[in-house]
Amino acid sequence: MESRRTQAQQVLRTFLERTDRDAAFEDATPLQGEGLALDSLETAELSALLEDELGTDPFTEGLLPVTVGELLDFYDESASVGS
Amino acid sequence: MIELLEGAAAEHPDKVAVVSPFGAPSYAELLDRARAAGAELRARGIARFGILEHDPAVVLALLAGSALAGAEACVYPLAASDEVNTETFVRFEEDLLVTSRTDLDVKSAAPTELFGSTAPELPPAVEPRPLMVMTTGTSGFPRGVRHTWERVLRTTSRIKPAPDQRWLLAYGLNQFGGLQILIHVLAARAQLVAGKSFQPRDALAAMRQHGVTHASGTPTFWRFLLAEMRSDGGPTPALTQVTLGGEAVPGALLERLHEAFPGAKISQIYGATEFGQNITVRDRLPGLPIGLLQSGGDVEFKVVDGELWVRSKASMLGYYGEESVDAESWRPTGDLVEVVGERVEFRGRKTDVINVGGVKVHPLPVEDRASRVPGVQLVRAFGRPNPLAGSIVAVEAVLEPDADADEVGRAIREACADLPPAARPRSIRFVETLSTTGNKVNRGVNR
Repeated sequence: MESRRTQAQQVLRTFLERTDRDAAFEDATPLQGEGLALDSLETAELSALLEDELGTDPFTEGLLPVTVGELLDFYDESASVGS
Repeated sequence: MIELLEGAAAEHPDKVAVVSPFGAPSYAELLDRARAAGAELRARGIARFGILEHDPAVVLALLAGSALAGAEACVYPLAASDEVNTETFVRFEEDLLVTSRTDLDVKSAAPTELFGSTAPELPPAVEPRPLMVMTTGTSGFPRGVRHTWERVLRTTSRIKPAPDQRWLLAYGLNQFGGLQILIHVLAARAQLVAGKSFQPRDALAAMRQHGVTHASGTPTFWRFLLAEMRSDGGPTPALTQVTLGGEAVPGALLERLHEAFPGAKISQIYGATEFGQNITVRDRLPGLPIGLLQSGGDVEFKVVDGELWVRSKASMLGYYGEESVDAESWRPTGDLVEVVGERVEFRGRKTDVINVGGVKVHPLPVEDRASRVPGVQLVRAFGRPNPLAGSIVAVEAVLEPDADADEVGRAIREACADLPPAARPRSIRFVETLSTTGNKVNRGVNR
């Protein structure tokens, strides 16, 4: 079975394709600004999508990940808490 | 109300007044029941009572009996829990609950006890004769809206006799929409047809079985009915009149209904329990014609800060347990509107507004766009709580059987791309069905 981190990566990729963005990213890529350039509503949309697909998301848990890596790290941690 | 029934029974004593799974009594039979019930209510000294009953013919006879006796009747919703019904009885300080049920912890009597009364016949009570109608209670416990029969019935003299009409009952008789159908049927000396329940599937079966010609329901009722018709592939009911009311009516639905019932006139009614009568719009365009904003007439409208206000000659007297309102005063309707060209277009209920990062967004334009997307059977837009924006616009849709969820999702986004960014749906989910109350879609916030 895929790890939750991999699943979150796929959700992010789907979301970027849907919003006509280059789906290539690295852990160090910032979510906003020069990186993926998500605005606040797009970030809100990503938060809802992650919650739908994975049951939880870092924003709803009160975290504010800045990079893709920080976002994905949340799922490493949530997996270890949940397992 | 008793006079209406007397009039119908005098002209058509043997005509079946109501057809339902509970029976098919004639106008004369209903009048006998109403007179007996009125006499019994007076003999027992009942000033205020509740009605909890499935058979619409029983409810009709009890309402007419209440008018005869001058007792204030209030029809309880069949879908409410026993706890809510018991609490309603206590809150409204009622003397009696008329119901076939014997398991409720309130003072009750079976309808047959009243209809079998041997109390002497009565002259009608003096006016004004009271009536109470409950609100749906979407925002808290239902309130009792105080009316009088004289005010509620004041426009019935304009209803022309139409004894060939068969009207579907698609509202509970606790709802003002249901009460108005009942009154219309009596005034037109027509026939009321009720299915096993108010659910669209049962309504469709009753329409086909009893040759319903006229049907009035909420937009949600009609959406579900169209979906039922498509999925069962059975014959299209031969309707000559389709009426929608109780919720804002999107243009896409009017078009779909016209396609499904090409021989039917399509009307929208706009009204509310609180203002006691309806405005009818027959031009098959969404919203109200701007001419209604001019003063004069039985019902007057104006727009205040984007909200529709109303002043009605049939307005309620007030809520039970609260101070009386000035029946001649202007009141807010809770409906948000925008004047676009020659039309007053509805944007949604004030309580349905979604606050997206401080921007107020109305769900209806989203629903209207999404409902036009091929593959979408039913849809609702609502606010979904979000940690970054407070709320985002969310859409839940029921797919047509062969539709592809990814494609439909993409098409809904495209259909909403002309809306401001905050108003576009940021969450689209596909569900098996949508939850409703009284055949209206629940737009309350959920996750």
